[in-house]
Amino acid sequence: MGFLPEVDDALTADSLTTLKRNFGLAPRIYRAQMIRPDLVDAQVRLLDRLLFSKGALSRMQKEFILLAVSAENNNTYFPALHCQTLQFLGVKPEQSQQVTIDHREASLPESEVVLLDFARKLASNPHSFTELDVESLRKSDFNDEQILEAVLMVGLTQLFNCIQMGLGIEPDFKPRIIFPLKEMNPPDVSERQIPEPEFSGEFVPDDPDFEIVARVRNGETDAFEELVRKHGRRVYRSLLGIVGSREEAEDALQDAFFKAFQHLPHFEGRSRFSTWLVRIAINTGLQRVRSRKEFDRLDEDDEEFRPRNIQAWTETPEDFYSREELRSLVEREVMKLPVKYRVALLLRDLEELSTEEAAAALGLSIPGLKARVLRGRLMLRESMVQYFSKASAGKS
Amino acid sequence: MISCRDFISELGNLLDEDVASEIREQLEAHLAHCNTCQVLYDSTRKTLRIVTESGSFEYPEPIAEPLVSKVMDRVRSCEPE
Repeated sequence: MGFLPEVDDALTADSLTTLKRNFGLAPRIYRAQMIRPDLVDAQVRLLDRLLFSKGALSRMQKEFILLAVSAENNNTYFPALHCQTLQFLGVKPEQSQQVTIDHREASLPESEVVLLDFARKLASNPHSFTELDVESLRKSDFNDEQILEAVLMVGLTQLFNCIQMGLGIEPDFKPRIIFPLKEMNPPDVSERQIPEPEFSGEFVPDDPDFEIVARVRNGETDAFEELVRKHGRRVYRSLLGIVGSREEAEDALQDAFFKAFQHLPHFEGRSRFSTWLVRIAINTGLQRVRSRKEFDRLDEDDEEFRPRNIQAWTETPEDFYSREELRSLVEREVMKLPVKYRVALLLRDLEELSTEEAAAALGLSIPGLKARVLRGRLMLRESMVQYFSKASAGKS
Repeated sequence: MISCRDFISELGNLLDEDVASEIREQLEAHLAHCNTCQVLYDSTRKTLRIVTESGSFEYPEPIAEPLVSKVMDRVRSCEPE
């Protein structure tokens, strides 16, 4: 399991109790050092005092530092172990995963973002670390005791990462993320490209298009026709929702499939072909919209949205309209949504992509995608009140 | 007891039926006494139903085959990179 033999049952009772209470098991990293139980005890006591015990920083803040610093070290072991621990504490795996990959996209409060920026910088660029970095924490109202704990947590994580890597210890759980992630934690939001998600094999479902894609890649150009026929509807609908006109969607569909064909040699199969294709279609559509003045930036911050127009609706408000009227009013109102909410809503609610697929197609975190879908739904609901509330149903 | 703000932050998960049972209970308890969130939940749910069943943004069948041909003409005129 590692470079040194594991020795079972050599943990002291105190260490075993601490580990089981917090991890539910004695993780391999400790079992792998049992030729020196005294040193394991010392590590577990430090872990207990600094991470598990109540301190100046919250347990969550300290756990997130551990995830972020492990990610800086491309360490797969600790995110696997601690995402599991965080789940016991009520943190969803998607949230822990997002903090690991890129905490700035994890919908954290601003002060926590500053804290994790601090931790990542200290871990990855200690030579350029200055008092200004400490000052950044003070400006976010962290006190000296919290700053000390943050520095110690970075150091503790470095120690544990080093032990795990030095001893070649394999994860206790199947990891959700395998490093390295090439696009991990880019320095500036505006520099982000929509990346291909890089998950372990277990989380990428079998791709039903695998065989056809392989044929096309092997030079059987005609097989591409099957992909166009199969995915044309999804690509067209995604594009129509972005560009808004049928003629332009038809042109954009041709561009999108053509680009997909040209770039097929670069498709690495880390997401489904259909997800990759939708991503190309979305980028193609957005390029067209960008050239217009009304384009709203996709990476702008989401302000809080307060629903208004809270009026009860009739039981089946759609009964007041013909199918054609409904289709036309839905298209009209959806097209009025800002593009970033519109695209998220279309992929989830019209194309019925899963949250994970839609997030991957848009290069968003799962919490980020969910926030946009909800915002889109609430804005659309608001615009529908004029047609469907009890007071107005059938009058427009 | 959760607030309206908490309710709205979980509304997306509730609509997707992706909430743990203990959270669902809290959301339902909130709905039982908050008329505003009740109306918001009901009307958003109906909005989604209308959107998904409206047949909007459909791919008209008559254009499908000509588009396949156009794409394939373009594809055949070039080789992948």
